[in-house]
Amino acid sequence: MSEPINLEKTKNSPEIILDKGASIFKIAGRSIVEDPKDFYTPIYNWIEDYIKAPLKATNFVFDLEYFNSSSARQIMEIIMLLEKIPATGNKVKVDWLYEEGDEMSKERGDEIKLVSKLDFEIKEYPAEDF
Amino acid sequence: MTTNTIYQFYRLLEKDTISFSYRGSFSNNVLTMATQLFKDNVEERHEKLRNKLSFLMIESFQNISRYADSEEEISLDDNSEFFMTRNIGDTFYVISANLIDNDKIPMVREKLEQVNTLDKSELNKLYREVLTNKQINEKGGAGLGFIEMVRKTKGKLPFDFVTVDNKQSMFFMQIELRNPKIDDGLPSISLSDAKQIQALVAQENILMMHKGDYSEDAVGPMLKMVEENMQNVSLKIHKKIFHFLVEILQNISKHSYALNGKHEGIFQIGYDHKNFRIGTGNFILNSKIENLKNLLNMVNSKTVDELNALYRKYLREGKITNSGSAGLGLIDLARETLDKINYEFIKINNTYSFFSLTVKF
Repeated sequence: MSEPINLEKTKNSPEIILDKGASIFKIAGRSIVEDPKDFYTPIYNWIEDYIKAPLKATNFVFDLEYFNSSSARQIMEIIMLLEKIPATGNKVKVDWLYEEGDEMSKERGDEIKLVSKLDFEIKEYPAEDF
Repeated sequence: MTTNTIYQFYRLLEKDTISFSYRGSFSNNVLTMATQLFKDNVEERHEKLRNKLSFLMIESFQNISRYADSEEEISLDDNSEFFMTRNIGDTFYVISANLIDNDKIPMVREKLEQVNTLDKSELNKLYREVLTNKQINEKGGAGLGFIEMVRKTKGKLPFDFVTVDNKQSMFFMQIELRNPKIDDGLPSISLSDAKQIQALVAQENILMMHKGDYSEDAVGPMLKMVEENMQNVSLKIHKKIFHFLVEILQNISKHSYALNGKHEGIFQIGYDHKNFRIGTGNFILNSKIENLKNLLNMVNSKTVDELNALYRKYLREGKITNSGSAGLGLIDLARETLDKINYEFIKINNTYSFFSLTVKF
């Protein structure tokens, strides 16, 4: 089993937790890195390894307040890897979270849902109080 | 805001290493971020000037809010206030402009003329006098601010009043901060430059303008600043502005032609009572123009549905290489903008051109 990945969020890159033992798979925050390919390659490799022997049910959470168009492509790569899970006889589901009122994040989620072949749920959560 | 006025602004600010201007009603937020922007981007040789610059920006900014009549409701697009900081050569300029009631002009003029005639020891003496004077007027002892500013600049404070109507005038003031250890030999810019820029910014409905180096490192602080200063617009607009800026600024840092190692660029955010506009300008190699033009014409010729289909196809198939991901960004811009992407190439010489674009939403 691969070591868990636990990246803290920065001003340009999201928080990423990939932990099979704890059953947490999460990408949250913003992704505006200029070279997303470099950033996402280790993530991609981890998931590629994970889908060889996934949990019975994988719940993958995206909670992205913002991502640039080059990150969109990398997020899609991750989703396409997850699409291979059902063929192993296991379940996989994506939860796409967005903050109440954040139409853009919702629309981006709707769009990715449209092009993905996964069980994909878009969920609103209440806006933070300031 | 048009692609051509972006070029005009670029020309006006051509000598500026960094410049930032803001028009509208001010909050302290703008100030915090503007000072931060300069702190982060001031070149190392000016490190000793950083604190002084921040101080002068704060004084100048607070001076605006002190004299401005603040009872009016805050709106995004009024011409009552203008603030600008420029770095040209080894000199920094802090320019402020705000509406002032005509009947207050003599009082302000008198204070400024007074501080402009005093030498250092006289200024220190006056400072102590004002400081210990218990009868400072209710507007907060603005005289003290002027004394501080003139003490820090070691020069004069150029100022002027431009009549707006029979009630109010625009009060302009400029602070010049020179690095005493480095003399760039450049003459000071005159206050009339600032007046010209303010008039053009108002005429073109520009809220915020930045000119500087758009290398990867510089984009982050700028985005942060814009983000923090757009708190009074809806989340939807806020996100769109941010989204457009990320795409456009990252394009500049990746694809623009670097002059003297710098990805020089300019960006503007405008608001014309109805719509927001973002405009950018940067240099591009002439050899890259044709490809970019083809791409722009392609995305401009498509309907939103066609652009969506194109974007989704790219998402799955990922045929776009790293350098070509500009395509995905442009498709994204084209489908979000309310209009076409307006663009213009202005030839500078046989090697490069100035490329400007505007999007509306």
